[in-house]
Amino acid sequence: MSLAKPAMRGLLGKRLRFHLPIAFTLSLVAAAAFKFTVTEPRKQAYADFYKQYDAVKEFNAMKEAGIFESVRPSGE
Amino acid sequence: MKSVIQLFLLWSVLVLSPSLSFSLSLSLSLSLSLTPPLASRCYSHGKVETDEEFDARWVTYFNKPDIDAWELKKGMNTLIGYDLVPEAKILDSALRACRRLNDLASAIRILEAIKDKAGPHKDIYPYLIQELKPTLTELGISTPEELGIDKI
Repeated sequence: MSLAKPAMRGLLGKRLRFHLPIAFTLSLVAAAAFKFTVTEPRKQAYADFYKQYDAVKEFNAMKEAGIFESVRPSGE
Repeated sequence: MKSVIQLFLLWSVLVLSPSLSFSLSLSLSLSLSLTPPLASRCYSHGKVETDEEFDARWVTYFNKPDIDAWELKKGMNTLIGYDLVPEAKILDSALRACRRLNDLASAIRILEAIKDKAGPHKDIYPYLIQELKPTLTELGISTPEELGIDKI
């Protein structure tokens, strides 16, 4: 039984025409997914933390804890 | 969400399954034009070469009576760079050139090369061997399978 002639031209082109749009789309989706599940929540967490952050209060707490060398706790 | 992940995994298996050599060998001169021509320069001007003209050109190239070893190698390497598996008539012409050059090694290598070119398309090589059988018998060329060198 003799074999029929298969397609022999443009095989890579055909494969790429099929797979490259999928690849690009999936890459964009992956980037978007990462952005919205990781970076945006992270940015929001930082924003929320610093919204009510009182730098002076935190400094005084650290000062009283005695971790600085240039300024000692109020007791000493 | 889970089905999306499953779909992605399925697609990535599909992408990665063909042999690496197929993609590498064709990657250098890929053509994404919508028409099949391969050595196509995507002119908006100028005529695009038809498949028949392409085949005829290569048959003529290998039919040169006094072709030399360099031209044979150059021709084959150029041909391998295209996004196609060469037609049986081009390969016939190339094998006869090998015969004129007393180069059996290159003749068998050509057979290995076209098997590799076909990549995941396993129906191409058996078809070409079928078409080339008369030539192979006439010229006394063994296939890699007959020599047992097709498996690593």
